[in-house]
Amino acid sequence: MIYSELQIAPAGDRHLLATLADDASLEANFVTLNFTAELDKLAIDGLTDLVPSYNSILVQYDFNRLGYDDLRGELIRIYKALPSFSELEIASRLVTIPVLYSDPWTKDCIEDYRSKVAEREYDPLFVARVNNLCNPEEVVARHTGCEQWVVTVSSFPGLPILRPLDPRCELLSPKYNPPRTWTPVGAIGVGGTSTSIYTIPSPGGYNLIGRTPVPVWDPSQALPAFKDSAILLRASDRVRFASISREEYDHIVNSVREKSYAYAIEPGVFSVSTYRTRLAALASGAVAEGRRKI
Amino acid sequence: MTITVLKPGLETTVQDYPGRQGMLRDGVPPSGPLDDWSFRLANLLVGNDPGAAALECQFVGPTMRFEQAALIALCGGNLSPKLDLVPIPMWTSLRVEAGQVLSLGGAVSGARAYLAISGGIDVPIVMGSRSTYVTARLGGIEGRPLAAGQTLAIGRSSAPVGVGRSVLAARRPPLPNDKTHRISVVPGPKHDWVTSAGHQQFYATEWKLTSRSNRVGFRLQGEQIEFSPQAYEKDPENGDHPSNIIDIGYPIGGINWAGETPIILMHDCITLGGFIVPFTVPSGEFWKLAQARPGDVLRFTPVSVESAQRVRRAIEEICSPSSIED
Repeated sequence: MIYSELQIAPAGDRHLLATLADDASLEANFVTLNFTAELDKLAIDGLTDLVPSYNSILVQYDFNRLGYDDLRGELIRIYKALPSFSELEIASRLVTIPVLYSDPWTKDCIEDYRSKVAEREYDPLFVARVNNLCNPEEVVARHTGCEQWVVTVSSFPGLPILRPLDPRCELLSPKYNPPRTWTPVGAIGVGGTSTSIYTIPSPGGYNLIGRTPVPVWDPSQALPAFKDSAILLRASDRVRFASISREEYDHIVNSVREKSYAYAIEPGVFSVSTYRTRLAALASGAVAEGRRKI
Repeated sequence: MTITVLKPGLETTVQDYPGRQGMLRDGVPPSGPLDDWSFRLANLLVGNDPGAAALECQFVGPTMRFEQAALIALCGGNLSPKLDLVPIPMWTSLRVEAGQVLSLGGAVSGARAYLAISGGIDVPIVMGSRSTYVTARLGGIEGRPLAAGQTLAIGRSSAPVGVGRSVLAARRPPLPNDKTHRISVVPGPKHDWVTSAGHQQFYATEWKLTSRSNRVGFRLQGEQIEFSPQAYEKDPENGDHPSNIIDIGYPIGGINWAGETPIILMHDCITLGGFIVPFTVPSGEFWKLAQARPGDVLRFTPVSVESAQRVRRAIEEICSPSSIED
């Protein structure tokens, strides 16, 4: 449920947490990111950083310029004045990320975990089984089957968390317990209903289903796509994962090394009303399909 | 002007203040000195900008040979500093001659010492800061702690000052002498996930700082506190464990309940995650955490946002040239 009034709680002397909904639905995130974009646009003096997540925003402020009570009141007022949810239009680029699914590097990482930490099924087989799919190829079909929404970019540098925009492409899987101590850069992980792309050799809990040869975090900013920022993906971008062969993977690795790799990035706008219309059509289609089966 | 690292110490890093700002939303924490009070005074003693790049020495400090003469100052925890094996005072600006060896040993009080050198440490600015963020190999010297054999380049001082300047005794951070650190916390942002009995438990417990504590997080050992019913009766999208929530942005200083173990999120922490943060240590208390040693006791007391901000303002005033006497 999306709250009519913003919920605000302090987080120490320099931060507060503004919560916009009690669930982690995509619609809660659309509202959260739209509110974030509005705050960016207003550039409030003393507001120094924002961390949008599924349904909340951590707000950092300089209390010498902006008091807690004033900021709280201002945020509540701005939130109230936003246009109704169904009219939302959010700037959203579409970025294609090539992936070698069931790649040898994440396989090594899983093997390492199996030999040192705990026995477990090979991740692509595990994700297939818990989603009632026959094999990893069907996992790939779902993962590449629709555009995925960037919910947030955080936790580790440049690391995106994505959700499929078409519910038919959802993959639901429990995360590692205990977590891995390391994950190769570029690994594609799925956990809960989200996907992430590992940007640094970090610990992690998502199930590893593939690896991308292209960076989404480049602190050297050597590739043209990183000219303005070390971060490729932004919250409210959309990603389409594209399955590639080992030959294509090696070819892309070379072009990244030669700094000539050109990302497929299309500018665009995401309309919540169009999204809702499509979802409704899908829902009625599913009903029709169900009837045919009867 | 260079310095040669002979022994690196336990995990000595280049830091500047306030570190990487405005990048939490990109997943990049601020880094920077854990005890910014001592850090800034060390820089002021040698005539640097209070935020200039200096060394954070933790528990066991480095040994270094100065290839040219320099003005230095050490503030913070006492890591028994010596110059050519002769003990030297802290909280004072000192001249080191070319060829002399500065050595820091184990901490005899506190845990972290800050070594400022006139001119500051000259490493590239990465994303607005020279601070080392080891997890992502950013800043400092190739994103890593000091290593033996390395040379550190020192910048040129823009405002040379003299030796024998010291920090007024009343302006130095007061370390406890009973191994117990009394630390204020602001309840929130997820204070309602803990019952009022749980809050009382949290404030009554003597939390022990464990050895599994570093610039990413400080792990505490103590009692299990009581979570509210909503920790158990929640939508599965919050996660399986009672302390799991839908991911939120994490504030530095947040006390993060990852399962049963509270972890205080420090300057190199992850910026977002799915565990509750019922209490947050405000920035004016970080110096106490920085100087706490494994085995020490932490006792927490609730304060208001306004009170925490007043404490921080008082520290800001202390970190100024008015605290230095010639």
